[in-house]
Amino acid sequence: MTSENQPESATDSTPGATLDGTIWAEVDRALAGITARAERGVLDLIVHIPPAEIVRGLRALKHDTTLQFDYLRCLTAVDNEDEGIDIVYHLYSTTARHNLTVKATLPNDDLFIDTATTVWRAANWLERETAEMFGVRFNGHPDPRTLLMPEDMDDTFPLRKDHPLAEIELLQGDGMGYTEEDR
Amino acid sequence: MAVTSDPTAVSPAAVPAATTIAEPATEPATAPAQPATEPVILPVIPGEHPAEAPRLEPVEVHPGKALYKQILPGVMQIPLDLVLGASRKSSLWPMTFGLACCAIEMIATYMAHNDLDRFGIVPWPSPRQSDVMIVAGTVTKKMAPAVKLLYEQMPNPKWVISMGACATNGGPYTRYDRVLQGVDKIIPVDVYVPGCPPRPEALIDALISLQELIMEERGATGR
Amino acid sequence: MVTESAHEFETRDLLLNVGPQHPSTHGVFRMVMQVDGEVVRDVIPYVGYLHRGAEKLCETMDYRQGIGFMDRTEYLASMNAELSYVMAVEAIADLQVPDRAQWIRMILVELNRISSHLMFMGAFGVDAGIIGTPMIYGWREREAIIDLFEEITGDRMMFAYFRPGGLAWDVPTNFAARVQEVIAAVKQGIKDLDGLLTYNEVFLARTQGIGVISAADAIDFGMSGPSIRASGVHLDIRRDEPYLKYSEIDWNVITATEGDVFARYNCRLQEMWESVRMVEQCLDRLEPGLIMPEKMPRMLRTPPGEVYVRTEAPRGEYGIYLVSKGGNRPYRLKVRSACLSNLQALKQMSVGQYVADAILVLGSIDIVLGEVDR
Repeated sequence: MTSENQPESATDSTPGATLDGTIWAEVDRALAGITARAERGVLDLIVHIPPAEIVRGLRALKHDTTLQFDYLRCLTAVDNEDEGIDIVYHLYSTTARHNLTVKATLPNDDLFIDTATTVWRAANWLERETAEMFGVRFNGHPDPRTLLMPEDMDDTFPLRKDHPLAEIELLQGDGMGYTEEDR
Repeated sequence: MAVTSDPTAVSPAAVPAATTIAEPATEPATAPAQPATEPVILPVIPGEHPAEAPRLEPVEVHPGKALYKQILPGVMQIPLDLVLGASRKSSLWPMTFGLACCAIEMIATYMAHNDLDRFGIVPWPSPRQSDVMIVAGTVTKKMAPAVKLLYEQMPNPKWVISMGACATNGGPYTRYDRVLQGVDKIIPVDVYVPGCPPRPEALIDALISLQELIMEERGATGR
Repeated sequence: MVTESAHEFETRDLLLNVGPQHPSTHGVFRMVMQVDGEVVRDVIPYVGYLHRGAEKLCETMDYRQGIGFMDRTEYLASMNAELSYVMAVEAIADLQVPDRAQWIRMILVELNRISSHLMFMGAFGVDAGIIGTPMIYGWREREAIIDLFEEITGDRMMFAYFRPGGLAWDVPTNFAARVQEVIAAVKQGIKDLDGLLTYNEVFLARTQGIGVISAADAIDFGMSGPSIRASGVHLDIRRDEPYLKYSEIDWNVITATEGDVFARYNCRLQEMWESVRMVEQCLDRLEPGLIMPEKMPRMLRTPPGEVYVRTEAPRGEYGIYLVSKGGNRPYRLKVRSACLSNLQALKQMSVGQYVADAILVLGSIDIVLGEVDR
């Protein structure tokens, strides 16, 4: 429960002043009951919500009468190696013309989060892609197949930081003459 | 004299003299009967042999020159494999297999600015009736079975042009592990075209090289 | 199972596989259609046949090398793709782009929009059954535009001309005259295509009333670009969140109300006229000056931060989400592709149509597989 009137910024210092002119006040009011933390990004406001309450928060942001975030722009993930995986949602309101970035951080040993397809249908394919690239499981997703990967290659996750790039394969056969010694 | 309207009446002047025998045909007209006053001369059609010309004459044969060329002038003799090679190269129908960005340059080569139709090259969607497969673009591991299947669906003789850097060895995406590092890992390739994407002129150059390759193969049926 | 009225047929739906190699799928796109006779009951799209890992490979490239990868995602409108990327880097690194570079960027981006829509006209005409003529007309003008791009950047398709901060090098001295020539040719070309297709009875009969999507559905699916503007949603990033100099020139946002295939085609056609107007206005405002800020470092290093920059590409909203943790490489680069979001609505638009109309619906969304799969 956010009881403070002054929102705090994610980086240590000065609260309040850095978030003036943003929509943090309305967002905080809409997310009543959810511990949210805000910081100012380069262009948009970034709000951190705990993963367990993410769908409730997104739905509140969508149905709020002043905010009206009816358009999901982008849904992706960032692999911060030891600190977990951030799921990032970019929201936009077609009526009120403002933007918001919502983040939920998942710890590395518990990569489960609820699906947002019940809030916007646009999340469907975006979550499928995030799941196969990072290994995150979206609970309740209506269609958890791979999107961009072949169906039989869903056990490795390319966009994780510990996934290596491929080695350049040697030319094969036909007397081309390239062997391990020639490299 | 008056023109009679009776079709059966024949004016006496039109009847040749030989038929003035008044007797109707009670006897078979075996003999032309009495010789007419004027002999019947058949007209001579110019160019044909007159009846008196000698029909058979020995032909002078010059050794060292083919017999048929001396009897029947105007006939060429060409080896059959040359004809097969020329006909194969002059009507190459590529299967439209544009995968990625190189497909746009391939389409640009088909269009009016750099015309490929003047070489007899017509894009054809179906693999069953096409000769050459221009692999234009990156082949990913998800797409590789489809590429192999399409190659096997093409009837012989068939050739493959690998267009662009991605089809040659993976191109700029070669370090990604879901990309096939070159299409020659699954199908045999005849001509490689470098570039990212190659210019239409480069693709035309590749197709002309393929035509020269086909002429060198001379219609071999082992493909 | 549907039985006809007077006959006691036992029917089964047929699973029809379209693609990944198909003359009308605009690239390697596969859909499995469940058809009942000729009516489509269900469409299951399969993408990923061109997934080449641009996002992962950009994490290993510095900011200048990454521009080439952005070209190859949206290969029909490479300038727009590069623009999003360099704008994201400029936002994080807080670079000010000089005015001349911004006007030139606008001209090139709008010309690229015209050439992308011309390609759409050609491919869409082929989908509608007019094999040949719209394609050849559209490509004739595309060659004029691409020749101009080749004179400026050195490449016909993958330009790699924008840099974080401005442009790679200045345009040639006859730039204004050349652009006027290209515009004259393009105007004639658009007129030709308009006269060929828009009032053609057969074309109208084929495209009107099919593939309808409502405004609410389109917003819910996250569609963008002409596909959503044809359903009546006034969503255009150039007007809503202006970048470059779009707020300083006079232009209109093209919308339609029906939301069908013909409306999407018409929106793109009118957008081409608007782009021509924009280019003419930008040419008037072009003045000599710098094209890169002074004191640009040789190797650009960005402070830590993250940004999501979106621009209006010909197909919709092309967004770049860039996370930087210092250094000269991105930590995470996500390409928000317009075509992927537009494709999610394919099933909604095609169910209940005939098979031939479903092909037209796919053509009207105007997908580029490089962007869908990255």
